[in-house]
Amino acid sequence: MLNKICIIDYGSGNQKSLYNLIDYLGYNVCLSRDQQDISNSSHLLLPGVGSYADLMEKIKSLNLDDLINEHVLIKKKPFLGICVGMQVLSTLGNENVRTKGLDLIEGEVRIINSFGLKIPHIGWNNINLKKNSFLENKILFNLDFYFLHSYVFDLKDKNNAIGFTEYGETFPSIINKENIWGFQFHPEKSQEAGQLILKKFFHF
Amino acid sequence: MVYCKKCVYPIISVNLEIGEDGICSSCKTFEEFNSLTSYDWEEKKKKFEIIVEQIKKNNKSNYDCVIPVSGGKDSYYQTHKIISDYKLKPLLVTYHGNNYLPEGDFNRDNMRKVFDADHIVWGPSVEVLKKLNILGFEKMGDMNWHAHCGIFTSPIIIAAKFKIPFLIWGEIPWDISGMYKANDYPEFSARVRHEHGLRGYEWQDFIHHKDIKILEKDMIWAKYPSDEEIVKLGIRGIYIGNYFKWDPNEHSKLMQSLYNWKPLEGNFQRTYRKISNLDDRYESGIHDLLKFIKFGYGRCSDHASKDIRTGYLSRDEAIKLVMKYDHVVSDDLYYWLKYIGKDENYFWKIADKFRDPRTWKIKDGNWIKENVDGSISSYGKVHLTPDEIDLFNKKNK
Amino acid sequence: MKKRRLIPVLLIKNGMVVQSRNFKEFQKIGMVKTSVKRCSEWGSDELILLDISRENKYDLNRDDLNFVNNNSFIDIVLDISKSCFMPITVGGKIYSLKDIENYLVSGADKVAINTSAVLDPKFLDLASKKFGSQCIVNSVDVKLINNKYIVCINNGSEVSSYELKEWLKISEQNGTGEIFINSIDNDGRGNGFDLELINLVESNINIPVVCCGGAGKFEHFLEVAEKTNVDGIAAANFFQHVDQSVFLTKKILYEKNFNFREPRFLKI
Repeated sequence: MLNKICIIDYGSGNQKSLYNLIDYLGYNVCLSRDQQDISNSSHLLLPGVGSYADLMEKIKSLNLDDLINEHVLIKKKPFLGICVGMQVLSTLGNENVRTKGLDLIEGEVRIINSFGLKIPHIGWNNINLKKNSFLENKILFNLDFYFLHSYVFDLKDKNNAIGFTEYGETFPSIINKENIWGFQFHPEKSQEAGQLILKKFFHF
Repeated sequence: MVYCKKCVYPIISVNLEIGEDGICSSCKTFEEFNSLTSYDWEEKKKKFEIIVEQIKKNNKSNYDCVIPVSGGKDSYYQTHKIISDYKLKPLLVTYHGNNYLPEGDFNRDNMRKVFDADHIVWGPSVEVLKKLNILGFEKMGDMNWHAHCGIFTSPIIIAAKFKIPFLIWGEIPWDISGMYKANDYPEFSARVRHEHGLRGYEWQDFIHHKDIKILEKDMIWAKYPSDEEIVKLGIRGIYIGNYFKWDPNEHSKLMQSLYNWKPLEGNFQRTYRKISNLDDRYESGIHDLLKFIKFGYGRCSDHASKDIRTGYLSRDEAIKLVMKYDHVVSDDLYYWLKYIGKDENYFWKIADKFRDPRTWKIKDGNWIKENVDGSISSYGKVHLTPDEIDLFNKKNK
Repeated sequence: MKKRRLIPVLLIKNGMVVQSRNFKEFQKIGMVKTSVKRCSEWGSDELILLDISRENKYDLNRDDLNFVNNNSFIDIVLDISKSCFMPITVGGKIYSLKDIENYLVSGADKVAINTSAVLDPKFLDLASKKFGSQCIVNSVDVKLINNKYIVCINNGSEVSSYELKEWLKISEQNGTGEIFINSIDNDGRGNGFDLELINLVESNINIPVVCCGGAGKFEHFLEVAEKTNVDGIAAANFFQHVDQSVFLTKKILYEKNFNFREPRFLKI
């Protein structure tokens, strides 16, 4: 089946960069919240900058949570949440205001325990990948990825963690449950590494 | 139109910045260099000598450096410095765009006779050059695009092929716009070449025309080496203008006396100077006329501004010269039209498309603009179709 | 392990990249698009784009180039987002939450707030609550006056009533995610960074710091890496005049084991 990537458009966030990159990589991509577009897509992406509460509010006000539930939980489309987009996959978020998430992967989002290192976690860091993961690649995991966050995902089921990053504590930087994926870093900003990992995801 | 208070540049001059005090960046850069003390120049000379040490130490090639030369007074000066003052063995490299004036031919070919140096002259096929003359003119109003490209590419290609890391250039580029400071030490940069020298175009933009056929293999002299190649060989382009005081009038006198360098016999039509641009008849001619057609100022403004700064001209004298020379339609136009096989109508129809609405207005079917002395003059008939005139007037809003 | 960052700064005035000295004298450098492309190709860790135009006029001043003439700063950001796939911080003329949102939607990952923060620190608080602290950079310009570092605003033209130490506390309390500290005195001089200033900021704040102002040779970057704990080292003029400048600077930092990413050339 020909890949048709759909980036869920909730009206803000860093959508343009993600769109531009996927387009540059040569994929058929759209930025939409339309039922039809989401239905026709092969892969769904939820990018995110900003706060947990802000993103959840936008998702709810556009009824995107229902759309997501239909296509991700029921129809099992490959789905990728990026940064705050990964964090809202959780049950609950604790950034400023306790907010309910999409509850697609059980767990809570809380502030990182950096053991004295400066917060936010801003910059390039590496990822230790679980062995035999779908994303495994020699070149890929010698490179660094770009992180920009203060909060991390505390998974209920540790098996959902595929990649780990150290910044004070060791937190999950790549999570996965069946067709649902989350990247804590920004692949659209991670230069070579980001492009390679997105291309891998589109093969899922 | 705002003009610099000190020289005669309009604010629209390419890459110029006019400060809140009304003085332009070119004047300011000149002032900065002019107020350097002999101690400062000693320090700069020492920096250059460190580079010479690096050239001698790391040299695995037969030649110590490449000197890109056109055969002009500056080429002679650079070569003279490298050979006489620093006893290095350069490889001279010339891009030959087929536009040399007879004096320019003589000066170029004379170099390996008066300097103990090997000289490679790289001239692309004249058939290809004629096509590029036409395409450059039609695309961006500059028939000399090929020359900017060749001059800033072929010497680096040769340096890469012969594995010679250092290229020695002369005057720091864009001093006419004042784009650097005395402590910046700019080196040859692919970015500056691409966006300022070549206006953002590369060889790939010239091989797809449906009627004028140019192939990739016709453009090999135009392909700039990759970053990896440059870094692997450690290729650096050094401007001696960063390290030694630059004085074109002095250089020309010295080169004439030491090496029999020939200035122009007779006069240029568009400027009063005779020591520049002998390597390309269109540089002060129609290539520069197109600058006037676009922006309303020409080579005479460049020369007069420089001469105001060095105290050779007063601003009033400069203004008189600009009013006399900037707008002149020189005879090399006809030479060029014969070269590429077109008529004069063709020239004006296309040239007029490049008139910049920031400078020009249309009145009674003529082009008018404000001059440096505050007056407004008409500069010839408008050669645009009614639709094109409409488009121009819309842009003018 | 998280690496330190090497960050080119592009000062954009009326649509073109310029270089500055002491925030007063400006010289044109070139097109935003080309500088961004070169910084990308040389593997920069991040890019900072600051709009320092005094008027609202963006014009390349000519129409015969192979470059799009963008008429607004947002259009410039949108244009470069099409081919720049690395983290970008955008700043300049940020007066409202809507301004921040516009930049983020157009491709910025972080925004740099300067004058608006000093005029109303609560603005930082509102911004960080809405967009997350990680998006909010407080760009702080300082001048040494009577032996004290004083915060200046409006492109360095006005002196505020805040001494630096005092301001840093206020900034952090209001949710700023990162400090971008710029020395007006050292700007464009090429005589080195103000190490005392950098260490002062580092020791008075608990959020990441990026320093700028004064780079003139590779050794200056080594000095900062060695003598301070600053997370990011930035420069504007320095990276503009020599090819592969960012790559070469990174190479020296990497080879001296200062915890920077390995230097690489990239295709975009």
